[in-house]
Amino acid sequence: MNRAVSVAVTGAGCLCAAGPDLDSCLAALFSGKRAPAPPRLFATGHSVPYPVFEVGENFFPATCPADPGLLRTARLAIAAAGQALADAGWEAEALTGLRVGVAVGTTVGSAMNNEEFYRDFRSGNRPGMAAIRHFLASNPAAAVARRFYLNGPLQTVANACSSGSDAVAVGAQWLRQGLCDLVIAGGADELCRTTYNGFVSLMITSPEAVRPFDRDRRGLNLGEGAGFLVLESAALEQARPGRTRARLVGCGAACDAHHLTAPHPQGMGLKRALREALAPLRDDWSGIAFVNAHGTGTLDNDRVEGMVLGELLPQVPFHSTKGFTGHTLGAAGGVEAAFTVACLGLGRIPASVGCDHPDPQLPVAPVQQVTALAGRYALSQSLAFGGNNTVLLFEKGERP
Amino acid sequence: MKPAAIQGVGVVGAFGCGVASLHESLRRGPHPPGRLIFSAEGRGSSMAAYLADPTPLERFVSKRETRRVDHFSRLALLGACLALEDAGALEGPRDDLGLIIASGYGATRTTFGFLDSVIAAGDPCASPTLFSNSVHNAAAAHVAIQLRITGPTLTVSQFGMSVASALARALAWLAEGRVSRVLFGAVDELCPVLGYCHQRFFGDPSGPIAPFALHRHSAVPGEGAAFLLLDGSGSSRYGLIAGADLGRIPVRGQLPGNGSYILNAAGHPSCSSHYSRLLPTGAGVAAFTPHYGSFPTGQALDLAVAALALRDGQLPPGIWGEALPNGWQPATLEQGAVTCVTCDGDGYFGTIRLERG
Repeated sequence: MNRAVSVAVTGAGCLCAAGPDLDSCLAALFSGKRAPAPPRLFATGHSVPYPVFEVGENFFPATCPADPGLLRTARLAIAAAGQALADAGWEAEALTGLRVGVAVGTTVGSAMNNEEFYRDFRSGNRPGMAAIRHFLASNPAAAVARRFYLNGPLQTVANACSSGSDAVAVGAQWLRQGLCDLVIAGGADELCRTTYNGFVSLMITSPEAVRPFDRDRRGLNLGEGAGFLVLESAALEQARPGRTRARLVGCGAACDAHHLTAPHPQGMGLKRALREALAPLRDDWSGIAFVNAHGTGTLDNDRVEGMVLGELLPQVPFHSTKGFTGHTLGAAGGVEAAFTVACLGLGRIPASVGCDHPDPQLPVAPVQQVTALAGRYALSQSLAFGGNNTVLLFEKGERP
Repeated sequence: MKPAAIQGVGVVGAFGCGVASLHESLRRGPHPPGRLIFSAEGRGSSMAAYLADPTPLERFVSKRETRRVDHFSRLALLGACLALEDAGALEGPRDDLGLIIASGYGATRTTFGFLDSVIAAGDPCASPTLFSNSVHNAAAAHVAIQLRITGPTLTVSQFGMSVASALARALAWLAEGRVSRVLFGAVDELCPVLGYCHQRFFGDPSGPIAPFALHRHSAVPGEGAAFLLLDGSGSSRYGLIAGADLGRIPVRGQLPGNGSYILNAAGHPSCSSHYSRLLPTGAGVAAFTPHYGSFPTGQALDLAVAALALRDGQLPPGIWGEALPNGWQPATLEQGAVTCVTCDGDGYFGTIRLERG
């Protein structure tokens, strides 16, 4: 296997609070529209209604109705994966006979944390097993494979907030190994009370709309959604010329080994991951058009990320799209990979919404207006609980 | 793909901790299960379970450093330390070491402990410590922090397929030269909720596990961790991992009939019945689940048993209870290779092939 071999990205799909599909999301991003609001999916007992970015029921396609036997995360994954396949020009029937893998990053989608079930159990009752059956039936990678009748390798990555990016890296590796003809890779996560209460307890949740890299940022807003890429082997790419939206040319990952929830103060892991992802470009980084930063809006994340970008890529435009989507946790890497591929194709990136007064303590500032791109490459980076740092490097393809 | 060499093994389970304890258990026969205590129907209850004790972790990491580390991550940390110690690699640089951990259910005790904090005192009193430790990759984080592992880290969670799926990544990382060594591990813990679920789904476990009574429920839940230090050197005192794959039943044909197989058959008919579809008549089989019980990543302990067997040149006794079904034969190491196989209730199977190094 050769890590330098790039992989074709032939399709992208996304479903999040910014829109029901990738085109709608991009329209929202470039118009600057966003609508964080107090949670409607669940009630909370906090005195402050910390806003979130929920996916409206009307955002789900008719082919993906609510299924009481499936967790919402799996439903989000199926909807976005279906979009990505359609964008790549694949009908489900045409996948028969191909080796199709599914790699999904998630956090909530792999957590057995049904609060209603547990309240019942804790009260000394004998709760029914429906909630557990739903959980067991909803492993996101298996759920996507089942829905589209796929028979290739599966992997559900639970690497916290870098899970989606890590899943894309896994998919690329399967193709380089020759295990698959095609891979659906990305991330999916739903909003739930448990993560909401958890992030509030960590005191990194903003009581107002998130402001990544802003002087007055007060934390993140949680979101939900799913984002997927379709990755194809060289043989499939040659058989269907003209379909490549981008190429995944580099992946880097490294651990801070510093703290469970805080990034390394000097960004050691992120620097290493960036350098690994950029290795295919050797020392010529001049072709990098932009960076989709993790940009959660927390004090620590944005400080470290800004410092690292200022040190390694000081002239490269960057933005955070979490101002439009919220932090979709395990989905974020998939959602932002889809945005990165699409923006490369369009040749422009949206303003980093929420950053009205760039933090003067940071050496760099995100773009504050729609910015035309110069360069063929773009980075999408993810930082996570546990000190994970994962960076993906994409090259512009043949079609937007 | 180039095989990965096993340079160190670290295990913790109901048999104790370390390869010597596992070896002794395999030699003497399994201990009877302990008791998992929990509350159901408003009163205390208990059930048979294979429980693991991470207390020996104090030998490697001070109590102070692990005061906020939960049972789940302690199991993982102990397994990781033991594997490095076994390999003579407790000291030395770890910047070119990758870390991959598989878990079926994650830190369930802490997950429900976090919900306790919410339910008992209200949303504003949710515990940040419990929340951050409940995240699935918390064990990988604690292992990386304590052992200063700065290479890539990955946590995989696919219920019963987690081990084969995650191990395939470890092999790929080594084959691509992404890192020179991988600390691979698997961990799962028991908690009262899982015990209750076991009772509701299967009834009270009575033990002992009868792995080859494929159509009779005999599972006893367990917990534990198994870690391996892998590299691409080609020589190993334990053996080589030649491949790890997942598949879906039915498959085109069965696995080779002349092979030796360690089955993670743990007394669940919904899973065990699939082994009959995978393995032909004449296949050599063994199972060791009576030593550590049934849990999603139990295949990692099968893997550790296989590594010990390759080191020793023979498989320990691994036939329990009833006569072997399907014309299967007791497994041997005559061909110098063994394959660990697990099946889940959804028709997926995972295989890990080991060879003499």
